Amino acid sequence: MIETGIPKLDEYLDGGIPTGKSLVYLIHPGVEGDVFGMQSLYHNLEKGVKGIYVTSTASPHAIRDRFEELGWDLNSHRDHLIIVDAYSALIGQDSEERYLVEDPEDTASILKTVEKALEENPRGLLVCESLSNIMDLAGEEDTLQLLQDFHKVLVLYDTVSICNFTAWPYSDETIRRIKDELFNAVVKVGGIAERVIFGQYYGVSKVDWTQTKDATMLFRVIKPGGVKAFIPKILVTGPYHAGKSTFIHSISTRAVSVNRLGTTIALDHGHIEHRGISADIFGTPGQERFDPILKLLGGEALGVFLVVDSTQPTSFPRAKTMLELTKTFGLPTVVIANKQDLSGAMKPDDLRDRMKLPRDIPILPAVATSKTGVTDAFEMLLKRIMEGL
Amino acid sequence: MSDYKLGIPGLEEVVPVVKGGTNIMLIGPPMSGKEVIANNILYSGLAQGESGILVTTSMSGEDALKWFKDNGLDLEPHKPRLGIVDCMSQTIGLAIGDTENIKRVSSPVNLTGISVGITNFFEDFWMKKQVRKARLCVYSLSTMLMYSNLQTVFRFLHVFTGRIKTADALGIYVVEQGMHDDATINTLKQLLDGVLEVKVENDSCFLRAMGMSQKPTKWYEYEVEGSKINIKYSYVRPAPP
Ligand SMILES: Nc1nc2c(ncn2[C@@H]2O[C@H](COP(=O)(O)OP(=O)(O)OP(=O)(O)O)[C@@H](O)[C@H]2O)c(=O)[nH]1
Ligand SMILES: [Mg+2]
Repeated sequence: MIETGIPKLDEYLDGGIPTGKSLVYLIHPGVEGDVFGMQSLYHNLEKGVKGIYVTSTASPHAIRDRFEELGWDLNSHRDHLIIVDAYSALIGQDSEERYLVEDPEDTASILKTVEKALEENPRGLLVCESLSNIMDLAGEEDTLQLLQDFHKVLVLYDTVSICNFTAWPYSDETIRRIKDELFNAVVKVGGIAERVIFGQYYGVSKVDWTQTKDATMLFRVIKPGGVKAFIPKILVTGPYHAGKSTFIHSISTRAVSVNRLGTTIALDHGHIEHRGISADIFGTPGQERFDPILKLLGGEALGVFLVVDSTQPTSFPRAKTMLELTKTFGLPTVVIANKQDLSGAMKPDDLRDRMKLPRDIPILPAVATSKTGVTDAFEMLLKRIMEGL
Repeated sequence: MSDYKLGIPGLEEVVPVVKGGTNIMLIGPPMSGKEVIANNILYSGLAQGESGILVTTSMSGEDALKWFKDNGLDLEPHKPRLGIVDCMSQTIGLAIGDTENIKRVSSPVNLTGISVGITNFFEDFWMKKQVRKARLCVYSLSTMLMYSNLQTVFRFLHVFTGRIKTADALGIYVVEQGMHDDATINTLKQLLDGVLEVKVENDSCFLRAMGMSQKPTKWYEYEVEGSKINIKYSYVRPAPP
């Protein structure tokens, strides 16, 4: 079994990739999917697994720099790292690599070199830096054929293969075969876009050695650090004085508020780190005089905490209005029944009746001042966001 | 829907604004001042508070910055909204990393890397800096075509012209005339809405715009003076009857 080293992904894959099997990271253009293959390679080098890296867009030298930017030192893994250089010959550069592809535009030449590398270094992991790039150079037909040939040798040399593939608008047939036929597992690496791509996610769309789990993870790439689970924007809204700012400070690892005389006049911003998942969280003011800016604050949010003061039923209609004003109505939402420590605080079920909230919106009790219930609330919202992707 | 001013004074009399989502090919022979035109369009956006992304395939990011400086175009106030995707430095073996304004891509063949660079800047300007108007300038498609075949560059362009449309931004793609056959140019044009065409005749440079106003504009003679494009015989509005 070879692990991918991507957060949560090995869980989704039931431990990793079995020997002789192949996985493709199917990447939406512009999304930082190329780091996935690098991270899988480095993760395994660290574990003492032999890694063969087929480069096609950069010289071995530049490749080492790219790994280093991510905080991964390839030099300390010299014995285990084998580079197949399918780049240098393309631009007429000299190469000192033992495995040099003479003609990177010819799939036979690539296959020959990879096979030699595998023969001399069996039982490891083969990572192809950019299969789409090979396809651009060698053509769609030939590259699909190459993949079939690859898989025969993989089994022969007890190797696992991982390919990065940027899904440019190739022919439908090519994309279909990549998705359905040529790999044992397909991990989709996509972007959440409105006017720009502002969030990135990955999820397993096919796997033939275990049950496919319908799970998706949002991420960003940190330098150094690599692929980390990350939610770019969670919004916190709710009526005046409900405890929004307090909630943000209690849930965040670090946070700032723009407050004056005890009320928020611009916005709150916090950053959450929780069990390897991080998130940026933004709060709105509650006072009605700020209503005109609410719709600006809600843009690109992926989920919402609606904070209410459980002792103030008269503010509940306002709470619902704020979902509309921030244009977040319909997004994954968790209602925080705050100030449960005060006498007269309504319990979540009563609150649901009173607010006429549908069953599928979770309402969680909390005391923001003492951080009670905030972690549960975060995990619940995460779950809703991931399900909704 | 946003409007974009190209920032070339004489031309603006006939093409006052270009609509958001427009993709333009800037084509002309070598030494005709295309670079100055492209940089002017980019800079005029920055000066109006927009963001600007420059993809350079034959110049390092540092040299691009230096050009503006040498020509007295102050980038300092605009740096938070400026992004350069430098596909050149690492190609020639320089081991230099990213900076605040420059992201390096291993080589022009690495279209995946270029697409990540552009996308990251777009996201940063939109999400963090809250800038809603953006210009993208790819300098040049011709170099990309030296490294990748037409079909590959076409796919790349297909994706990014689409992104420019969704983002309501402005895209400028520079092409060297004389380096490609007509079929290649025409294929690329299919994805673009307009053309800024430059020609050189008897040592004089001319410019015209197609697809940005009702009819193609006439040819304007211009001179390049440092960082400036001076249209010589400016369009004179006919007097009302
Ligand atoms: N007893 C109790 N007080 C709370 C709790 N959460 C917040 N408070 C208090 O309620 C008051 C308002 O809290 P904030 O966090 O400023 O409320 P807000 O929703 O950000 O207010 P605006 O931004 O002005 O709309 C403060 O005095 C908090 O200390 C809670 O769980 N229990
Ligand atoms: Mg507040």
